[in-house]
Amino acid sequence: MKHVLAALLIALPLAAPAQDRAGMIRGIVDEEIVGGFAELEQAAARMVEAAGQDCTHPGLHDSYAAAFLAWARVSHLRFGPSEEENRAFALAYWPDPRGRTASAIRKMLADGNEDLLAPETYADMSIAVRGFYALDYLLHEEDLTEIGTPEYRCALVRTIVADIHGTTGELAEAWEGFAPMLTEPGADSPYRTEDEVLQVLYKSASTGLEFASDMRLGRPLGTFERPRPNWAEAYRSGLSLQLLQAAVRGAGGLAVRLAAVDATLQARLKAELEDFHDSADALGDPVFASVAEPTGRFRVESLQTDLQEVREVVQGELGPALGVSAGFNSMDGD
Amino acid sequence: MPTRRGFLAGLMATGLAPCASWADAGSPAFLAAAKVPSGAFALIGLSATGERLFEIPLPGRGHAAAAHPSRPLAVAFARRPGQFALVIDCASGETVRRLDAPEGFHFYGHGAFSADGAVLFTTENDYETGRGMIGIWDAAGGFARLGAVPSGGVGPHELRLMPDGEALVVANGGIETHPDAGRQKLNIPTMRPNLSYLAFDGTLLDQAEPPASWHKNSMRHITVRGDGLVAIACQWQGAMTEVPPLLATHRMGGPLAFHGFGPGAEYDLQGYLGSVAFSGSGEEIAVTGPRGGMAVVADAEGRVTRRLDQRDICGAAPGVDGFVFTTGEGRMLADNGVTRDLAGHDCAWDNHLVPIG
Repeated sequence: MKHVLAALLIALPLAAPAQDRAGMIRGIVDEEIVGGFAELEQAAARMVEAAGQDCTHPGLHDSYAAAFLAWARVSHLRFGPSEEENRAFALAYWPDPRGRTASAIRKMLADGNEDLLAPETYADMSIAVRGFYALDYLLHEEDLTEIGTPEYRCALVRTIVADIHGTTGELAEAWEGFAPMLTEPGADSPYRTEDEVLQVLYKSASTGLEFASDMRLGRPLGTFERPRPNWAEAYRSGLSLQLLQAAVRGAGGLAVRLAAVDATLQARLKAELEDFHDSADALGDPVFASVAEPTGRFRVESLQTDLQEVREVVQGELGPALGVSAGFNSMDGD
Repeated sequence: MPTRRGFLAGLMATGLAPCASWADAGSPAFLAAAKVPSGAFALIGLSATGERLFEIPLPGRGHAAAAHPSRPLAVAFARRPGQFALVIDCASGETVRRLDAPEGFHFYGHGAFSADGAVLFTTENDYETGRGMIGIWDAAGGFARLGAVPSGGVGPHELRLMPDGEALVVANGGIETHPDAGRQKLNIPTMRPNLSYLAFDGTLLDQAEPPASWHKNSMRHITVRGDGLVAIACQWQGAMTEVPPLLATHRMGGPLAFHGFGPGAEYDLQGYLGSVAFSGSGEEIAVTGPRGGMAVVADAEGRVTRRLDQRDICGAAPGVDGFVFTTGEGRMLADNGVTRDLAGHDCAWDNHLVPIG
C-alpha cells in the first residue's frame, strides 16, 4: 500500500494549483521584495542619522553594517526597478578587479573639491565612488587618513551615506509601484503569465546563489597556489562572512518560497541551507583570511561545497519543478 | 619511423603542407562545438545534409571555431575568458598548435582567417586596460603571434573578414570583463558598444554606435554579405521592460539601421539573440533567440518574414537554399520558408554553426 501511495505521489503533477502559485508570488512580493527594500531604506535612514553624529568608522559602524547587510539580503533582485537607472550598481560596484573605487576615492580626497559633494552632483558621479563598497573603502582603508583633510573626508562620508539613502528610497518606492506587475501578470505587465513571473524570480534566486559562491566565496579562495584573502568582499570592515550569509538568506530564502510547489523539495532545500549556515556560523573567520593556510582553506572550501549543494538542488530540482527552461544555450549563452 | 599523421602535423606546423584540403576531412559544410553524451565536449564536422563527418575531442566547452578557407584547419576557442585556442587538423583529428593569449590578454571566443588563409585574427581583451584588441597570428608560419591592434572598443566579440578581403568588421560588445572577476559584467551602466571596421594595420575605417538611449544593446554577433551589408545581432543588457530592437544592419560609411520584430517580440526573445546568418542567396537574414526559443527570419531590409519556434535554437548558417539551424537539443534543421529536420544528433549543439568555405 505504501508503495502504491508513493507511486501515486510521484505520478501527481508537482506544480501546486494555480491559486497557490498566485498566493506564493504575492507572499514573495510583499515580504521578500517590497518588505526587503523597505527595510533597506529604513536601515539606510538610520545610517544617515548616525553619520550626522559621527562620520568615522567606530561611530558609524553598526548602522552602516546593518544597512549593508540589508542590501545583501535583496541584492539578488537585479531586475525591474533595481536594474532601471542602474540603481543596483549605484549601491554596489563590486567586484572591482581594476581597483577603480580605490583610485577614484583617493583622487577625490586628494582634490578636495567641495562642489562634487552636492547630492544631485554626486548622483551623477561614476558608480565607482558611490554605494556601499566605496563607503567601505573610505571608512576603513587605513592610509586614507594621510590624504586630504579630515573635514573633507567626513563630508564625503556623509555625501555617500546620503546618496545611498537616496537610492534606497527610490528603490523602495519603485518596487512598491512595480509589485502589481508581478502579482497581476497579464496585458498590462511585462510578465504575461505567472510562469514568466516565476521564471524571473527563479533566475534571481539562482543567479544570487551563483554570485555568492563564485564571487563572495570564490574571489578570496582564488586558487590553491594563489589564494586572495584581500579579494574578499568588504574585508576591511570585517563584514565578508556576514554579507555572504545575508546574501544566501536572501537568494536561498526566495528559492525556499518558490519550492512551495513541492514539499519534499522544499524540505531538502531548507536542510541544505541549514547545513550551509551551520558551517558558516562555525567558521570563525569573518573575512576568509585563513584561505592562505591549509586548514583554514579546507574549511572555506567546504563552506563553498555546502553552497554548491544548495545550488544543485535549486538548479537540478527547483528549476524543473517550476517548469523553467534550462537549455544548453538558453541558460548559458555568450 | 614517423607516422604519416605525425609527419603531416610536423609539416603543417612549419607551414609546408599546402596540399591538404577540406576534402581530406570529408568535405564538411559546417563546424560546430557540442557537448556529447559522455558529458565531454567535441568539435564536430557536418555535411550539408547533417551527417557527422568527424568528431574531435575538446578539453572543455567550446564557443566558436574559425575555419581555414582551404586547408582542413579549425581554430577552436574556449568560452570567454579563454586563455588558449587550439588549431586542429580536421583531417587527422590532431591538435597541431595551441595558441596562448599573451600575458595580460584573453580570447573572447571568435576568430577569422584572411582570404588566403595566411593570417588569423582573434578578438581579445587587454584586460588590465580593458581595451578590446584584435590579435594577429601568422597562420602560414606555424601560427606565430604577429601582434595586436585595438579593436575600436571594449569587449570585441565576433569579427568577420569584409568581402574585399582587406578589412575586418568587429562587433565591440561594449561589456568590460576581467578574468579575476570571471564572467561578471563590470560596466553595464556606462557600456558603449560599437561596430568597427578596421584595416589590417589597425586603422579605423568606420565606426557605428547605437543611439545613446540604447547604449546597453550589446552588439555581439555579426555576419557580412558579399556586397558588404553587415547584419548585427544584439543582446540587451538593460531592463526587460524596455527592450529595443535587437537586429541591426549597416554598410560601411552609412547609418546604423535597427529593425524591430513587432509588438512584444523582443521581449519574447528575452532581449537576447545568439547568432545571425544571411541565407544562401543573401536575400534573407536569420537570427536565433535561444532564450525565447525561436528564430526570426527577415528580408535584407529587416522586415520579418517568418518565425520558427524551436527550443534552445542557437546555431545559424547559410544553407544551400535558405538556412541551417542547430539546437541545444541536438536538432539540425533546414529552412527555406518550409522547415524540415535535417538530422537529430545525440549531442547538445553549442552556440554557433560555422560554415566552411
